[in-house]
Amino acid sequence: MNQRRAAWSVAVVAFSIAMVASACGRSVDNNGNGTPSAGGSGTEATSLTTTTPAGTKPVDKITWAVYRETNSLDPIYAFDYPENTVISLLCESLLRQAPDGSIGDGLASLDDSDPTKLVFTLKPGVTFWDGSPVTADDVVYSLERNTDAKLGGFYGAVFSRVASIQATGNDEVTVNLKEPDEWLVGELSSMPGIVLEKAYVEKQGSDYGTPSGGAMCTGPYKLQSWKPGDVLATVRNDSYWDSSVHPLVGEIDFKGTPDEATFTSGMQAGDIDGSYTFALSTLDQLQSSSNVTVTLGAGWNTDAFIVSSFKGPLGDVRVRQALSMALDRQGIIDTVYKGAALLPHSLSSPGTWGYGKDVFAKAYDELPPLTQNLDEAKKLIQQAGAEGQTITLGMSSELNNIAVEAGAYRSAAEAIGLKANLKSVSAANYINFFIDAKARAGVDGFFTTNYGDYADPAALIATLVLPDGSQNYSGYNNPQVVSLMNAARGEADPDKRAQDVADAQKLMMQDMPWIPNAFPENELVTSSDLSGAVGSFAYMFAPWADDLGGTG
Amino acid sequence: MRLRFFLRRLVMLIATLLVSSLVIFSALYIAPGNPIATLSGGRSLPPESVKILEARYHLNEPFLAQYGLWLRNALHGDFGISITLRENVSTLIVSRVGTTAALVLYASVLILVIGIGLGLLSGLKHGPADTSVLVLTAVSAAIPAFVAAIVLMLLFAVKLGWFPTLGNGQGVLGTIRYLTLPAFALAISSLAIVARVTRAAVREEFRREHVQTAISRGIPYRQMVFRHVLRNAAIPITTISGITVASLIAVAAVVERAFGLNGLGAYLVAAAASKDFAVVQGISLVLVTAFVFVNVLVDVLYAALDPRVSLGARAQ
Repeated sequence: MNQRRAAWSVAVVAFSIAMVASACGRSVDNNGNGTPSAGGSGTEATSLTTTTPAGTKPVDKITWAVYRETNSLDPIYAFDYPENTVISLLCESLLRQAPDGSIGDGLASLDDSDPTKLVFTLKPGVTFWDGSPVTADDVVYSLERNTDAKLGGFYGAVFSRVASIQATGNDEVTVNLKEPDEWLVGELSSMPGIVLEKAYVEKQGSDYGTPSGGAMCTGPYKLQSWKPGDVLATVRNDSYWDSSVHPLVGEIDFKGTPDEATFTSGMQAGDIDGSYTFALSTLDQLQSSSNVTVTLGAGWNTDAFIVSSFKGPLGDVRVRQALSMALDRQGIIDTVYKGAALLPHSLSSPGTWGYGKDVFAKAYDELPPLTQNLDEAKKLIQQAGAEGQTITLGMSSELNNIAVEAGAYRSAAEAIGLKANLKSVSAANYINFFIDAKARAGVDGFFTTNYGDYADPAALIATLVLPDGSQNYSGYNNPQVVSLMNAARGEADPDKRAQDVADAQKLMMQDMPWIPNAFPENELVTSSDLSGAVGSFAYMFAPWADDLGGTG
Repeated sequence: MRLRFFLRRLVMLIATLLVSSLVIFSALYIAPGNPIATLSGGRSLPPESVKILEARYHLNEPFLAQYGLWLRNALHGDFGISITLRENVSTLIVSRVGTTAALVLYASVLILVIGIGLGLLSGLKHGPADTSVLVLTAVSAAIPAFVAAIVLMLLFAVKLGWFPTLGNGQGVLGTIRYLTLPAFALAISSLAIVARVTRAAVREEFRREHVQTAISRGIPYRQMVFRHVLRNAAIPITTISGITVASLIAVAAVVERAFGLNGLGAYLVAAAASKDFAVVQGISLVLVTAFVFVNVLVDVLYAALDPRVSLGARAQ
């Protein structure tokens, strides 16, 4: 199945080493609507920003911060924010995710009239940076790299329903499916669908995507130079195949900036021109800086508590429901997100409604917002006879946000008569909860910020509700949910598919295999004389600087 | 005699490198965490991919075999490849060594010139100059490098805009401009300590009998200071300066991180967090070598300063 990553990740590792208390002078009770383009942080899901007004003036060169240095330009190894941010600027997939999450044509158009066949036709005149045309061979080669075990790529499993991939014409590629698979369509608008130049990749061999091997893609920007630890420089591709796109920024330099205090100073001093972040501890400071614009946009990620074991008290669904009810989510949103997050009704963010929007919105509104209700929670604990039982929370006191959330969960547990132990590990070892059953053995659950590769609530949910889901640690298995999810995977009609997913989601909110905490908003931070960058989480998967330019 | 001294130091260097490489490798091996996990970013990789990745980086072999393999390659000049960047470690180190060297050199110059200067001033003059230096050094000795980094950045980069907040400059002047704040952040507390020790050493020498005798005999002040006070005070000053400068190499990590410099220290920290064995080993070797060299330099200086000390003499 398809796997999601853990966004706590290396940033926080680096953060813990920083020892830098970021100066947060202002109180956190304001909702951060300080800037005109801010999408607001009310609970109204539909008001989320996805784009910013297009820039109007050419700009020579900007510096864009990523939370750590980019490790690879090879899409099959792209799994985290820095790699995705850079690769999505340089490279393009067969299909393309619009800022609102809808999937349209990318390098190719899709004919899916036969449910077991995805027929891609390359757009005329599509070329790589070096001018050579993109061929069906390049497409087949690029897709098959994902499943080549020798390469050890991270996306092999998303091709599980693929029978074969064939070039069926000069500019036509057919993906034959064992069963209909709408999820694969989503994945092919993301990293697994990126097309690389076969000849170039074969020449570079295992060096492809490294500082010495470089990259060869089709995107509106091309790699200029990459000095590890310093700067990864990209320059506008003036022979870009899509002649309707004219990026205004000449060069974009990427700089790894693990320290939030350094990033904030860099923005204020004008040494950094922009970045995509979330849960930034200095958000207030940047919002009040006159030369910085903060745009809060649709996020596709979910901040949640993973119930990793049903063997302890959390095996009783009433205890899970009670814990969820007792949680002070607004406190988490104010403290961790400085207000830049939504109070959830379900497990997947409104940002992920890339199709069937009305269906999702209706179902979402029917679910109550997860506000605190201690009385009701206490009753559930009594019914379950769980008073005085102990839950153990996996956390890391070195990871600030996770420590805050663990504290909130402990307060919630204690408020309803449970006891809570915190099991703290080092920042570097927090990852082991996700990958090592031994590390999970002593805990009832741990914290995550998770997202899918495309705008579909199913992209995240599938990993935790399907019995073989990569993040189904507890062995959660509700046959109704599973059958709804499988139906959704093969359903071509977007509204019907959305209904299946929404129905599954409703059942899940009863079962609470994970407890949602907040929906982080996407934080786009730019110098105030820049505008036009994609405002939603779609920046992770498709070119985001086509309209970026100077203002005024 | 000199040749023997340098030969012996060379043998010691090699022994130190061997021992430290083994110790660091074992520590990293024992430390929890898994480099493959860093590669996959917490995703559950297909078992076949994991096997391939483990074989590629020899992670499936026992500890001694892994270390032996690394050592054999290192002796042939091959320091392995970084797991996260899939790039030659030597290339990655070479691209960063200049930054750290320049930063440490810049900070050392600040420490030696300003630190010793202030110490002499304070040691030789009594009254307000001495008091000001004492107050100044008491405050700055208590400022850790990461605090200094934030304060300097806020004041001189964000508020005044005199210096850039982060990154490396181009060319000599550019490098100096970009490294000024980091070098001051790195030097500020060590500088105070060097100043304090210098002051104490100078005062100590003033109290010595031969200096008092010289004063009573009316030997000109300038001559007395240079010939009798400073010459003798130079030994403790060299010792503390040597230790301070050598320690900068390690402390540089904090400052490099704060100012977004592509130095070895910050890279070492990042590599250790992701258990990137070859990188940690490679950087450690460079740092240990640099440390040993600074110490040799200090020993040579001792011999030059004090005729009683001869190179290669055994410690009494």
